[in-house]
Amino acid sequence: MAGECPVTGRFTRRGLFGGAVGAAAAAPVGALVAGRAFADAPSSSPSAAAGESKPTDSYPFEGVHQAGILTPMQRAAAYVSFDVTAANRRELQDALQELTSVARLLTRGGTPPDEGLTGTTWSNGVLGPKIPADGLTVTASVGASLFDGRFGLAKAKPARLRAMEAFPNDDLDPARCHGDLLLQIGAHNTDTVLSALRLLTRRTRGAFAVRWRQDGFSSPPRPSGTPRNLLGFKDGTANPAVDDAALMDRLVWTRAGGDEPAWVAGGSYHVVRVIRMFVEFWDRVSLLEQENMFGRSRDTGAPLTGTDEFDEPDYALDPTGDAIKMDAHIRLANPRTPDTDDQRFLRRSFNYDAGTDMNGNLDMGLIFTAFNQDLERQFVTVQKRLVDEPLVDYISPVGGGYFFALPGVRSADDWLGRGMFA
Amino acid sequence: MTNTDDTASVDEADVDELVEGAGERAKRTAWRRPRVLLTAGVIGALAVGGVAVAATHRGDQALPVAAPHGSATVPGTPVTVGTDVCGQGWSGGTSGPQTFAFWNNSIQPVEVYVEDPATRKVYLDAENIGSGATRAASVTLGPGTYRFFCMPADSDPVAGASWRLTGDDAGPTTPGIRPVTVRDLIPALKEYERWVRGELPGLQRQTQQVADDVRRGDLVTARSDWLTAHLHYETLGAAYDAFGDDGDAIDALPSATDPAKDPDLHGFHKIEALLWGGAPAARIQGPADDLVKAVAHLRKDMVNPVQSTTVIGLRAHEIIEDAVRFELTGEDDAGSGTDLATIDANLTGSLEALRPLRPILAARGHDLADVDAWIARSRRLVRSYDHHGRWTPVTSLGRRARERLDATLSQTVELLSEVAVMTDPRRSN
Repeated sequence: MAGECPVTGRFTRRGLFGGAVGAAAAAPVGALVAGRAFADAPSSSPSAAAGESKPTDSYPFEGVHQAGILTPMQRAAAYVSFDVTAANRRELQDALQELTSVARLLTRGGTPPDEGLTGTTWSNGVLGPKIPADGLTVTASVGASLFDGRFGLAKAKPARLRAMEAFPNDDLDPARCHGDLLLQIGAHNTDTVLSALRLLTRRTRGAFAVRWRQDGFSSPPRPSGTPRNLLGFKDGTANPAVDDAALMDRLVWTRAGGDEPAWVAGGSYHVVRVIRMFVEFWDRVSLLEQENMFGRSRDTGAPLTGTDEFDEPDYALDPTGDAIKMDAHIRLANPRTPDTDDQRFLRRSFNYDAGTDMNGNLDMGLIFTAFNQDLERQFVTVQKRLVDEPLVDYISPVGGGYFFALPGVRSADDWLGRGMFA
Repeated sequence: MTNTDDTASVDEADVDELVEGAGERAKRTAWRRPRVLLTAGVIGALAVGGVAVAATHRGDQALPVAAPHGSATVPGTPVTVGTDVCGQGWSGGTSGPQTFAFWNNSIQPVEVYVEDPATRKVYLDAENIGSGATRAASVTLGPGTYRFFCMPADSDPVAGASWRLTGDDAGPTTPGIRPVTVRDLIPALKEYERWVRGELPGLQRQTQQVADDVRRGDLVTARSDWLTAHLHYETLGAAYDAFGDDGDAIDALPSATDPAKDPDLHGFHKIEALLWGGAPAARIQGPADDLVKAVAHLRKDMVNPVQSTTVIGLRAHEIIEDAVRFELTGEDDAGSGTDLATIDANLTGSLEALRPLRPILAARGHDLADVDAWIARSRRLVRSYDHHGRWTPVTSLGRRARERLDATLSQTVELLSEVAVMTDPRRSN
């Protein structure tokens, strides 16, 4: 688990999640207002967003960046990795255009196209006759394997994109790793996610074959602040503020130039790590030991040098690790020194629950998700610091991959990935 | 009727019988073979049921009109339909998306089209609106002239007055199509059945060959003859519905447990399990002889098959649905590892089922170019695993190869599903 584990953006600090009643209804409100302001127009001011009184449940599909990155986390998510089976470049382009058009329609919501008596219904009926947007985002990212010789894209590969390596504590299952294309689908409700997944795959059946899939969810604040992961700890407290456009430009959005091709501008290196948590084992560990592993209070999320969740860890006054251990997760991940400042990245992880393993132990954990301007400078550097941290005994990274979240779809005639083919 | 079939003749007895059958569209039973038959007995029962219902409703009278229209909670322009009235409440307007709230004020279930009176193309088909019910239905129409066409379950259709839509809405509109009727489909079904019948003598010879090989103790030859016979049978997939118990005797799915020892398993997959499982000839002889008898029985039953015309439109699609579900997963394999060969045969079978439908669809502007392209692509891909008669077992393929097969067959079946919808028999005018 790189970085302090996951979460939502700092909207929580403004209390938009606070006082959430019936989380499913509460999350969307603040989330969406912010989403409109930030997902599409990162430079707009947060106060303008906060002043918007009418909640909406639709995130703009078009913009400089894709939605689903700075967008506040929805309650339900699906991560689906595909291998491209299109026969050639032209077919891949067609499929990406189809993907774009279906995603555009679904994220906006409305009445589905009507095939009359000439075909089965376009929609699947799961969301009723009229499709609600329901906070849907569809974020498309590409894997390094897409840039092999098949589609003439070798020269377009984002410079730092590669197959995810196995870190020393990993137990990666090849069947659950990598892929040519990743769709990260999020919405306020699971049925919306699954309906979108079915419609997106149906329209691209011959071009994209599912490689692996992991569904996730985000929890409501318990009782307040950043949502918790399944180890019981608030996850994502130290995330950089997504409403700070300058900060996002420095930490999240990839820039063209140097060894990067021009088309990558506005995209982001998208790291996904499916991390199983051995929750039975974890529950048999004392609270003191748990808190020492993270460096935070389980109840409040406060660093062990502080009082409240959003207090900054104070390493200067704790140089020998009496409060926050030297090998605590938060201390290794983010030492809060000037030279590690640009190693921070945006985390947007979902919890997952996938039944049980063959021994009857629960298979649940985290779909660790990180958006980085520069894969090496940020995620990889941080992850290397975390090798052999005490927490590794209780978690096991089993899948995922490195992807590159495509730049946004800029206009009605633009489509996902068009820049790659330029 | 644009079908220029040269031998099939439509006799009225056929039409009556099949119209009764078509009223109750063949259920797509769970994905298991054989499918439930629409037998003569079933059709008889349906006919009786229909009469009974009609008798109850003799002396058609409109329901008392307590309110001008049905449920006010149903969104849409209120439009009254039924046995006497068809389209009251709407007389035209602006082109673009329309939502009608059809209220059936009669005592019979009613089906309502929105059609172009000149071309008879149908844009909307609201089926099975029960007596007294209000049903919303949406359609997006371009500028033009349209009308409602009401078809009560047990009385003559009623055409509503024409109405016009004006405007310059440039958005996408719902495509229209002249409905395919039972009358259109009967020649196609007969042509198809004739083709199946023509294949059966060859199939019988091939299964006899397997039995003869086993009798001689030549199990190596028996294997290759088994494959020939089985693949031939798999091209007849479109006939599953008609095969009934014969289908079970000939080609039941192998069970999850050891199919060679399954006392309830018969036919091709039983023999396959024995032939590839190293069983002695003596143990294979019985099942091989039984298969010959089962095929003979099928030939007898196919002399006068009773099938709903719905079958012919669904076949091409369902054959490939079966292939995706049972063959592509290797579930249908009892040891020979020839699932990909089976899929190749299924693709042939799908084309055979499409053949008699082509003139019907061509007359409606659908040339099936996409379908043909994907079937051809599927065949090329599947046949790339045929190494001079030795087929690569699907389960031995690597991930990329499996993905390509899955995607290609799945795209093909998506397109075939449209054929099934377009050729779903609808009421004639």
